[in-house]
Amino acid sequence: MILLDRVTKSYGRKSAALKGINLHVENKEFVVIVGQSKTGKSTLLKLLTREEKPSSGKIIVGGIDYDKLKDKNVPYLRRKIGVVFQDFKLIQKKTVFENVAYALEIVGMGNKEIKHTVPRVLNIVGLSNKADSYPSELSGGERQRVAIARAIARQPRILIADEPTGNLDPKHAWDVIEVLERINKYGTTVLLTTHNQDIVQKLNRRIVTIQDGKVVSDKAGNARGRQTI
Amino acid sequence: MMRHLITLRRIFAAGIKNFFRNSWLSIAATAVMVVALVIVLMAVVLNVVTRSAIAELSTNLKVSVYLQDNTDEALRKELQNEFFTNSNVDKVTFISKEEAQKQFAASFQEDKKLLEGLALIGGNTLPASFEVGVTDLSKLEDVGNTAKQEKYASIVESVSLGKTDVKKTIDRAANAQNFITSASIIAASIFAVVSMLIIFNTIRMAIFTRSEEIRTQKLLGATPGYIRGPFLVESSMYGVIAGIVASSIVLAAIYSLGNKVSGQAEFIESYDFLTKPSTIFAMYAASMLLGILVGIFSSTLAMGRYLKLKHW
Repeated sequence: MILLDRVTKSYGRKSAALKGINLHVENKEFVVIVGQSKTGKSTLLKLLTREEKPSSGKIIVGGIDYDKLKDKNVPYLRRKIGVVFQDFKLIQKKTVFENVAYALEIVGMGNKEIKHTVPRVLNIVGLSNKADSYPSELSGGERQRVAIARAIARQPRILIADEPTGNLDPKHAWDVIEVLERINKYGTTVLLTTHNQDIVQKLNRRIVTIQDGKVVSDKAGNARGRQTI
Repeated sequence: MMRHLITLRRIFAAGIKNFFRNSWLSIAATAVMVVALVIVLMAVVLNVVTRSAIAELSTNLKVSVYLQDNTDEALRKELQNEFFTNSNVDKVTFISKEEAQKQFAASFQEDKKLLEGLALIGGNTLPASFEVGVTDLSKLEDVGNTAKQEKYASIVESVSLGKTDVKKTIDRAANAQNFITSASIIAASIFAVVSMLIIFNTIRMAIFTRSEEIRTQKLLGATPGYIRGPFLVESSMYGVIAGIVASSIVLAAIYSLGNKVSGQAEFIESYDFLTKPSTIFAMYAASMLLGILVGIFSSTLAMGRYLKLKHW
């Protein structure tokens, strides 16, 4: 599903943010990417969403070779990838329902279909009763679940969650992780970055550790993933 | 197809919403555009009015050629033919001594004493003449010179270029027209530039205040068109509203001024033309179109510079 082959990314003269990363993620896998801040995790995700291009190396996601991807087709690539941000990126002036609907409006979905889809997605993240609330009326965990709902509303095959628990207390953090696990169970490949060791331990999934722009370890969890390199 | 229509409708809805969201900036941008459009429209209207007034004044131009008594018939015919073949002449009328007398009597029939006085002098003192209608003011003298040629000296007593004071009026009107045109081009350009700058900045600020939203849109897979669309709709709305307001102001001016001058021959034609439904429709349509073009042009500049849609 995701393949990175000797991917390097450097910014100007500074030392490279990513140095020859190799990573292979299977379909329906749940991978946790661990590393302290500024180790290259965010760069990696930006490469996957094509916010940035690698300096060298190959990236293939869902069968799409990024080298051959034209700029005008980038929006269509992003529609296949759901992204959840640490800072939620919700639109404050829109209700929970409208925020989720927004992602569907962008792809030209009809109002009828939107009215049918949004409650279903809110149900998955456990926010059915908050559809008419504004983000400012929600707790951090609830906001992050809205962001997840928005990311999965279009049923992407890949969900990338960039430090989704970064700003949350432990209880709310677990709410969010549980939602991600549920989504993974439905068949979506999930890529989660975090530096929360507690979550990493309890999740028991494949863990890829990045340090100084390199993959330093790749441990399989109980059920899936590859063995340590 | 259906998806495109839905998307188009959403882009319009978002643009209209943004217009009202930035209401103060929108009002400023629209107001400056109204000023620019009013100047342009006024320039066009004044041009139409002066042009048709000049046309009206230019009709009835004539050269009167007064003939000696007992002229050579053949030479007189030759002169008449020469007038006929001149392309700037639209009509040649020969007025015999008798007719001249009759016309004179007719115009002074109230003034019995004058007529009695003339009768006392005895005989017909008025000369025969040609009245030559000239189509173009600048050719008035040329036509007059035809009769002043040496060969006609024996039959022509004098040549008078009719309405010489009219020539001055026409010259003045033409000068005024030139002045109005150039002054309004300068004024309209200045205001057009000002309104472009204001729209440019309005859209720039809108882009800055919505930069997070735009980034989210990009990451959610919005196409550049979907992001640009609302800004284009918003700036087109300045144009549409400014066009309607400016046309209404100019139309009101035409009606209120027109009522005062519509009795004068020079203005009848232009007033009728300007108040025709088709002209009014064209004025509204043209000014809205012009406004939309200015709006789209300046917002496209702002987006090209600040939206950074090239880097996905």
